[in-house]
Amino acid sequence: MTMTQQDAPAASPPAPSPAQTDGRTAQRSAARRLLARPEVGVAVGAIAVFVFFFAVAPTFRQADSLATVLYQSSTIGIMALPVALLMIGGEFDLSAGVGVVTSALTASMVSYQLTMNVWVGVAVALVVSLAIGALNGYLLVKTGLPSFLVTLGTFLMLQGLNLAVTKLITGNVATDSISDMDGFNQAKAVFSSDITIAGVSVKITVLWWLAFAAIASWVLLRTKYGNWVFAVGGNKESARAVGVPVAFTKITLFMAVGFGAWFVGMHQLFAFNTVQSGEGVGNELLYIAAAVIGGCLLTGGYGSAIGTVIGAFMFGMVTQGIVYANWNPDWFKLFLGVMLLGATLINLWIRRQATRK
Amino acid sequence: MEISARTRRTATVAAFAAGALLLAGCASGSGGKKAADSANGISAGHADTPRIKVAMITHQAPGDTFWDLVRKGAQAAAAKDNIQLVYSSDPNAANQANLVQNAIDQKVDGIAVTLAKPDAMKGVVAKAEQSGIPVVGLNGGIDVWKQQGLLEYFGQDETIAGQAVGDKLNQLGAQHVVCVVHEQGNVSLEDRCAGVKKNFKGTTDLLYVNGQDMPSVKSTITAKLQQDHSIDEVVTLGAPFALTATQSVSDAGSKAKVATFDLNKDLVNAVTDGKVQFAVDQQPYLQGYLAVDGLWLYKNNGNFSGGGTSPVLTGPAFVDKNNVAAIAKFAQNGTR
Amino acid sequence: MATNETSGTDRQPIVELSGVGKSYGNIRALHGVDLTVSPGEVTCVLGDNGAGKSTLIKIISGLHQHTEGEFRIDGEPVRLGTPRDALARGIATVYQDLATVPLMPVWRNFFLGSEMTRGRWPLRRLDIARMKETADQELRNMGIVLDDLEQPIGSLSGGQRQSVAIARAVYFGARVLILDEPTAALGVKQSGVVLKYIAAARDRGLGVIFITHNPHHAYMVGDHFTVLRLGTLELSAARSEVSLEELTNHMAGGAELAALKHELAQVRGVDTDVLPEPSELPSASAPAP
Repeated sequence: MTMTQQDAPAASPPAPSPAQTDGRTAQRSAARRLLARPEVGVAVGAIAVFVFFFAVAPTFRQADSLATVLYQSSTIGIMALPVALLMIGGEFDLSAGVGVVTSALTASMVSYQLTMNVWVGVAVALVVSLAIGALNGYLLVKTGLPSFLVTLGTFLMLQGLNLAVTKLITGNVATDSISDMDGFNQAKAVFSSDITIAGVSVKITVLWWLAFAAIASWVLLRTKYGNWVFAVGGNKESARAVGVPVAFTKITLFMAVGFGAWFVGMHQLFAFNTVQSGEGVGNELLYIAAAVIGGCLLTGGYGSAIGTVIGAFMFGMVTQGIVYANWNPDWFKLFLGVMLLGATLINLWIRRQATRK
Repeated sequence: MEISARTRRTATVAAFAAGALLLAGCASGSGGKKAADSANGISAGHADTPRIKVAMITHQAPGDTFWDLVRKGAQAAAAKDNIQLVYSSDPNAANQANLVQNAIDQKVDGIAVTLAKPDAMKGVVAKAEQSGIPVVGLNGGIDVWKQQGLLEYFGQDETIAGQAVGDKLNQLGAQHVVCVVHEQGNVSLEDRCAGVKKNFKGTTDLLYVNGQDMPSVKSTITAKLQQDHSIDEVVTLGAPFALTATQSVSDAGSKAKVATFDLNKDLVNAVTDGKVQFAVDQQPYLQGYLAVDGLWLYKNNGNFSGGGTSPVLTGPAFVDKNNVAAIAKFAQNGTR
Repeated sequence: MATNETSGTDRQPIVELSGVGKSYGNIRALHGVDLTVSPGEVTCVLGDNGAGKSTLIKIISGLHQHTEGEFRIDGEPVRLGTPRDALARGIATVYQDLATVPLMPVWRNFFLGSEMTRGRWPLRRLDIARMKETADQELRNMGIVLDDLEQPIGSLSGGQRQSVAIARAVYFGARVLILDEPTAALGVKQSGVVLKYIAAARDRGLGVIFITHNPHHAYMVGDHFTVLRLGTLELSAARSEVSLEELTNHMAGGAELAALKHELAQVRGVDTDVLPEPSELPSASAPAP
């Protein structure tokens, strides 16, 4: 909190608004236009957090530590991207956290129980994850219920299914190790390997995360579909009135979350060989938090992929930075909450400065 | 029409056959279920005593491997003793108390309960005893089971187990331990670390991780090891976390060894391979088994262990490279 | 037939309604409505709340289907299924509250749902430069000059937002523009901006249906006036046949008010001299076209 206060005044005060002329709008200053970008607030917050931990935690300065922070950020960040897109499209997915575990369990059990090459399990898990997303979207579009309710339903159902089906099929609450099965090493290379960059071992998820972020950003800002995402989140009725396929856009957004859940699920499976069926609960809120810290509006229609990447990175820095700083762990959650809230406030303050008329 | 339907059916069959062939082509040559022996668990005859109904109510969080073993032990005893076992659990103390009330309403013949949060359970336990239902304790509540009038208690004293680990680490020559708590605020987990800290002569640090998110557990332990290179022992409080900790150790390039409370199948392999130094087992299967079996004995012969004054300790039992082979095959069956 | 100096009688009307009505079950929301929209002409539809204005535009814009009478587009009887059908025939509707997505930039709003793209799939992407250029050009043609097309449309004034929506409809090939109370939520100055663009659209040869309950706004741009009351025609008159005062009286429920005058006259303190006599009002139904 202290650091957020130190850094807050660094942003320039808003320029006085020039008088408007009839039929024309005033030219907005370059600084104002920069501030209006959704990722600027979080970038300022992230720099503040980075500088702060850089100053107080010597270990934080090592390249290895940065790799650890990036790894933590990437596992949240890969999911936060589609969750952010969905949020820009005006919806939530509370089933995202357990959806990850569902996907991992599916792949693991299909491969193990049928003694198949693990790639078969991976493919089946992808189909299942996309289907869950499509179901969420379909229910939302058909019933017109808020996504909070629809996905709360799937969240609970998946939680129950994860446990019950795992127990039914394996007789245990965790899946059997698939580390000695055909295709495991290939799949591990794709989803969970280490790559050495400039002498530092970096998890491959970090590279995937950045690649997905680039794709998400491109889709959002440079394609028709991205335009539709902003429109259905910003004003669904207007979008429908001008011919945007609202149902298609929403359903595919939910399926994108399914894809993210599949990818992170595969990472967990190939990183840890087995999956505990009760995991994942509560992570959906971390994804949403990363997206919101990253500048996405809870009400939809506004946000960015880059901002979400920085949001997840900030989350990773705070969780690991507290350990590097060797603070009393009893206070861990409190620090975490305060820092996230502080960062969000900076973000909010900057956006207010930017959009003030 | 007839022909087209048949052609379509033929096509469908062909598609399925092709799919099946494709899948067969993808079959794994190693590992998998086919490789695993059929695990039947333990069976010990069948009692001809009248059928009774026993409720086991624990504070298990959904999907925990440890509790799965407790439950399996309880089921094995129930099958043997001609008991209908009703298992239920809720990590929230108030909800767990409700489940006990539910068992009382069902007029069960015996209740086995964990007293992880004893104060919340006090009322309903007394109610059960007033209704004449025998209550036994297991796993949690070693300090309070006598006060609350429980018949007997099966479990491990977490503090004593922690102290035993501390002693063991002294013996192994460790200097700096980090104790990884995967659920902040859980009393028995905190007791374990406190026990370690009490008897361990070197430095003991606590580290809290989010047990719901393995990648987060992994990176947080890695971060801790990077932050302090003098750490030479990571003690986790659950088997899955020990396996993750071994990955953190290699990621951080640390020389620390890993020890853990509690066992599971994969952990037994890790001990065999030497990846995990030792595990301290409280024998959850035994806890579940004895609790149900104890109720059966009390119902049919009036026996109770410990004479109402001392608990039946199921741990700590150390599992290391020397004795792991003996339990490996049981662990493979999912009963250790 | 509406008489107008700028449009000759030989020009064929685009939209014609004769005796159109709509019933929802037992409720007859609209009946016996005649309406004609010709190119280069503004037809104003006036009426109090509940007079049937929204039912009428829903029929013309394809949201609802009429249950009686005849609806012709280019002389051909039609029954529109969806707003898309109406759009395909060149009838575009600009709703008061549904015009734009506030947080999106002006140019994205302009092309929303009909984006220009370039490149092949999967690399097909928005042609941003061309869209911005086109949007700027189209807005200038309508007399709207914006310095920054990247600004969120929500930061424009209400009048400007409506104007962008009008320019958009014009660009995407509308021949008939239905404007649903575009000035209702605006101040005097902003209303003027919108009225200017309505005139601009008319001068470009579009037929405009301007729905409002402000007779002053209607009289400033209208060529023909249709007043609805209680689900049917109260008045249908060309500009040359009706004065602003008469229009105002009809809007205010003139005939009813006149009847009320006698009762009010018996209450002391109410000045009834300013209210019109029934005989002073033009006949309730306009001469048939």
